[in-house]
Amino acid sequence: MNIIEITNLRHQFADKSIGIDDISLTVKEGEFVVIAGRNGSGKTTFLRHLNGLLLSDTGVVKIGGISVSDNIQMARQMVGMVFQDPDTQIVGETVFDDVAFGPENLCLDKHEVKRRVIKALKAVDLINMADQRPHVLSGGEKRRLAVAGVLAMEPRVIVFDEPFSDLDYPGVRQVLHQILSLHKAGHTILMSTHDLEKVIVHADRLLIMSKGKIVMDDEPEKIIKNVEAFGVRQPCASRLGMKIESWLN
Amino acid sequence: MCFASWHENRIMAELTVFNFNPKNSFLHKLDARFKIVCFILISIASIKAYTVSLVVLTCLVFYIILTVCISFKSILTELRFFFILLAFIFIARVFIAPDLSASYFKNFSLLWHSIYDAVLVCWRLLFVVLLGLIFVSTTRPSDIRIAVEWFLMPFPFIRGKRIATMMSLIIRFVPLVLDQARETIDAQRSRGVENRKNPVYRLIKLIIPVMYRIFEKADKLAVAMEARCFSEKRTNKALLSGKKDWIVLFGVICLCILLSTIDT
Repeated sequence: MNIIEITNLRHQFADKSIGIDDISLTVKEGEFVVIAGRNGSGKTTFLRHLNGLLLSDTGVVKIGGISVSDNIQMARQMVGMVFQDPDTQIVGETVFDDVAFGPENLCLDKHEVKRRVIKALKAVDLINMADQRPHVLSGGEKRRLAVAGVLAMEPRVIVFDEPFSDLDYPGVRQVLHQILSLHKAGHTILMSTHDLEKVIVHADRLLIMSKGKIVMDDEPEKIIKNVEAFGVRQPCASRLGMKIESWLN
Repeated sequence: MCFASWHENRIMAELTVFNFNPKNSFLHKLDARFKIVCFILISIASIKAYTVSLVVLTCLVFYIILTVCISFKSILTELRFFFILLAFIFIARVFIAPDLSASYFKNFSLLWHSIYDAVLVCWRLLFVVLLGLIFVSTTRPSDIRIAVEWFLMPFPFIRGKRIATMMSLIIRFVPLVLDQARETIDAQRSRGVENRKNPVYRLIKLIIPVMYRIFEKADKLAVAMEARCFSEKRTNKALLSGKKDWIVLFGVICLCILLSTIDT
């Protein structure tokens, strides 16, 4: 079943530059899709259409068969978004409060809010830090907290925008492990990155974007050799003709 | 230990006292609304308090600090700049006296009275700050937000929910703004900004990038809140008051009345 259906999506910015240029795409439920491209290729703009943070000029974005522009609230509940900079998306004064922010916005009963918060914190292994201030968490922990904030809204699709930026090696491993657990639990994952090295071995599908268009869309092993033409570095092992290893090994 | 973790530990050390400290003390369990009312009542009582009352109140504050397990060392570190301010206030009260003639310094009773007066003012200020510190470190910021919302509810033209959300975001983002300013100062020092002696030039060079980054972060925050369905119509944690809250409030009222009679 297709969870995301996009038809002829186009987005033009206020300065008349084209952000997204006629994208049509479907994503199956449970797929792990990596979207790569150089800076300014339109990855973030594209992802922001999935939960109605940006609305298209022309074209339709459907999540679970329902148009995003018809029901933005539903789209935001179904598509959780983890942004590049966790510091600017953590709004709570404590870890618990931050995770509760989303469910509270959905006007859920307070017992349900608490249940979801505890479940989400357990899922990202931050339950022992529930009373901590987010500011004192490490980079990897902040990223996991951002994931918990999204998980508490019980989305079917989780979108990660450059999840590994500014993270050290243990931080990357923590976050990667988290993302793979979510995928294993049945979530559809979309991830934008310009660094394929860390994640591509786990992806089902690779999209390459350039100038607002999807220029390549296939299984990673089929197109990985050609990505450098679009400003994306081929993983080291692939360049050397070796098998790409997971960062978790 | 890597620089990042050292930096984090430093931040933790710097921000521990004036933030909520999760513990299980009696004060932690009190309703935030009652705590705010008690805080205001005791602060008002302390404004007119003299030596005996201040000794009673200070002993009470020290006892509370011990029971809620706040380290005296961190309090002293946190309040180091406040002590400098107190020193200025003390000097101003003693030396900027109404009659600064030579006889003022020769007349010991007058001088002694000024010093006594200055000590009382500084003592009262320090007391209110310590009270504030106890309140902040024993009350969840979300409870403070809900209590503020509750107090603003009867006013029809004030958007209590919005004010309370703004307040909680400010509490959340003060450390980030300080970090941002610190980072910009370090970056500019590493490029020799200290060689420029003009303080206005240095201030402008600091404020513009810091403000730019703060507005940029505020914009990203707004988008992130929108992505999580933010609206003013949302579930709020209910504040529950019990018998113990009323008993504490009654006790505080009695204490305030008693203090007002002690020194008069």
